[in-house]
Amino acid sequence: MKKRAFAVCTLALFASFALSVLMTISGGGIAGAAEKKLLFVNTTPLSGAFAEYGKSASMGAQLAVKETSKVLGREVDLVTIDTESNPGKAARKIQEVIEQKNARFFSGACLSSEALAIGKEVNKAGGVFLTPVGADEVTGAECNKSTFRWSVPTHGAIEQTVRPLAKKMPNAKRWYTITPQYVFGDALLSNAKKVFADMGITHVGNSYHSLKETEFSGYLAEAMAAKPDVLLLLNFGNQSSATLRQAMSFGMKNKMTILVAWSSGLDQFRSLGSEITEGVYWGAQYWHTVNNPENKAFVALTKKHFSTNPTYPLAADYIETKLILNAISAANTDDPAKVISRLEGLKYKGLTGDEEIRAFDHQVIKDYYLLLGKKKSGMKDGDDFVDIVSSGKSFVSQKDSACKMK
Amino acid sequence: MSIYLFQILNGVGLGMIYFLLSIGLTIIFGLLNFVNFAHGAFFLLGAYLCAQVHIMTGNFWLSLLLAPLAVGFLAWLVEKLLLHRTYHLPHMYQILVTLGLALIIQESSIIFWGPVGKNVPTPEVLQGAVTLGSFAYPWYRLFVIVLALVVALILWILLEKTKFGALIRAGSENTEMVSLLGVNIFKLFSVTFGLGAVLAGMAGVLVAPLRGAEPFMGTEALGIGFVVVVVGGMGSFVGALVGGILIGIVQSLASSLWPQGANIMIYGAMALVILLRPYGLFGRA
Repeated sequence: MKKRAFAVCTLALFASFALSVLMTISGGGIAGAAEKKLLFVNTTPLSGAFAEYGKSASMGAQLAVKETSKVLGREVDLVTIDTESNPGKAARKIQEVIEQKNARFFSGACLSSEALAIGKEVNKAGGVFLTPVGADEVTGAECNKSTFRWSVPTHGAIEQTVRPLAKKMPNAKRWYTITPQYVFGDALLSNAKKVFADMGITHVGNSYHSLKETEFSGYLAEAMAAKPDVLLLLNFGNQSSATLRQAMSFGMKNKMTILVAWSSGLDQFRSLGSEITEGVYWGAQYWHTVNNPENKAFVALTKKHFSTNPTYPLAADYIETKLILNAISAANTDDPAKVISRLEGLKYKGLTGDEEIRAFDHQVIKDYYLLLGKKKSGMKDGDDFVDIVSSGKSFVSQKDSACKMK
Repeated sequence: MSIYLFQILNGVGLGMIYFLLSIGLTIIFGLLNFVNFAHGAFFLLGAYLCAQVHIMTGNFWLSLLLAPLAVGFLAWLVEKLLLHRTYHLPHMYQILVTLGLALIIQESSIIFWGPVGKNVPTPEVLQGAVTLGSFAYPWYRLFVIVLALVVALILWILLEKTKFGALIRAGSENTEMVSLLGVNIFKLFSVTFGLGAVLAGMAGVLVAPLRGAEPFMGTEALGIGFVVVVVGGMGSFVGALVGGILIGIVQSLASSLWPQGANIMIYGAMALVILLRPYGLFGRA
């Protein structure tokens, strides 16, 4: 009898131990599944020269997580990784979070080079990555199954700024360009040259500069000597701000029209002030006064949580994070392959109106804006720097795309 | 006016800013034999204080007066409390301490003023440009050239024609001897360090209307400051002036001749000078 009782107790102990092991392996069993958080990683530069961008971007990801609350009945654990604007460091940190925490869902990045590096790592792990960076390669020659892009790449940015401005000013036939010499700047320049040729515009000169340049007076002197009707700036961020400040001191704003093809939007305008933004044309991915219900709700949400209007990085990382979280809910699984299937071909009401994710290259089809800086006296509030001149969608067709999905 | 003549004029303007930036660095090194990696941070602080005074008062001229003095006072205080303890240590320790100080100033600026840069408008009386043939040269940049020349003249008189200058020069030759003659050498060091920071702060204020105040402008400024000091010769007043103008002209001319390499040409010029004259154009062995 004693032997039998001992055998039953041993069996019961073994069974309970085996059950606990099984529960641990399977992620906590039925009760544990509700408790385990869904890990989501936002990658953005929080230090270095692009920290300004990263601060806003991480706020956008936080907002999307707060708004979504629970996904698949689980709370979302948002981890922010500082890319340091360094592709090598970003890739290493992504490897770590994939290996150590089994992360599979990613949004963000600021520089094309870091997004390409992150995209490769996420693709190796079979995850999902949605980014706002600009270089054509992201959804072109370097496209992959895991990487999606929300922002309009260089082709659309030029088509929706240079072409409408050239139509608006048919007599402005002499254009000068200032270009940062790397993949993003070269892509903008080659697209601009195509539009110039198409519209009978004379490209009177181009000044290349390095990514570390802060002094632009020499390039502006070259531009002045070429006597252009339009000065087209193809640099971005602090470099386009510095070029504009210096162009203003040379009195160039009164002598020619200035177009910044790729602006950072509200952050950049706040940093420059209306004295400089006034009368300048700007290309932009997003503007907070875009009139549609989704954007109005997003602006109200941002104001409620952060007491400010949304900037472009905030909007970009908000919508990227939200799209992935919504796709996980819609797929009813955190299996990345099924989430990717949900995202491919998705049509939705976005911050810029009707948006769609193309299945063949994972590019979001959305509007790009041409803005014009207002006079200070015409501003309705402190952030009302610009009017929207025009907007539209321009993307390379599947036939012309360099994307061969891997 | 030909583009090259214009680029030379533009280069002189740039060079005068580089002179103001580097003269403090060279004076501090010349007298104290102290390598100050926080010099770029003092430049950054000058630009931000200029933006702050402008936000509060809208007066650029007040910021030109107050910001360099505030930077100088802070530098004097830091020297009194911390840096003078490192004078007897090897340069490596000085670099580490001042690099740490630079990071503290940079990150504090981000905390206080935010990561978004600040704009400083050109003062109203200096807006606009003078026409030179096909070109226009901003009145503000001409003002910077003239002001830098005036500062250079005052500094030269201070260093060459006054007792204070004589003590600094004597101190740079033989610190112990000057000390034995009854001069409070540590007080002299503190004042000189503060003076160097005042000049960096002034350069920051003058650059603010051209480039705005950005959190990472100090790092680049430090790089250029060291290039000018190496080209001109460590501790040489004339070297800082000639080196600054030379580097400014090289950078400006390269914008026309080899635009994508304009930034690299600065370091190319430095390498050439080191090859031909290892102690710089006006340096002593």
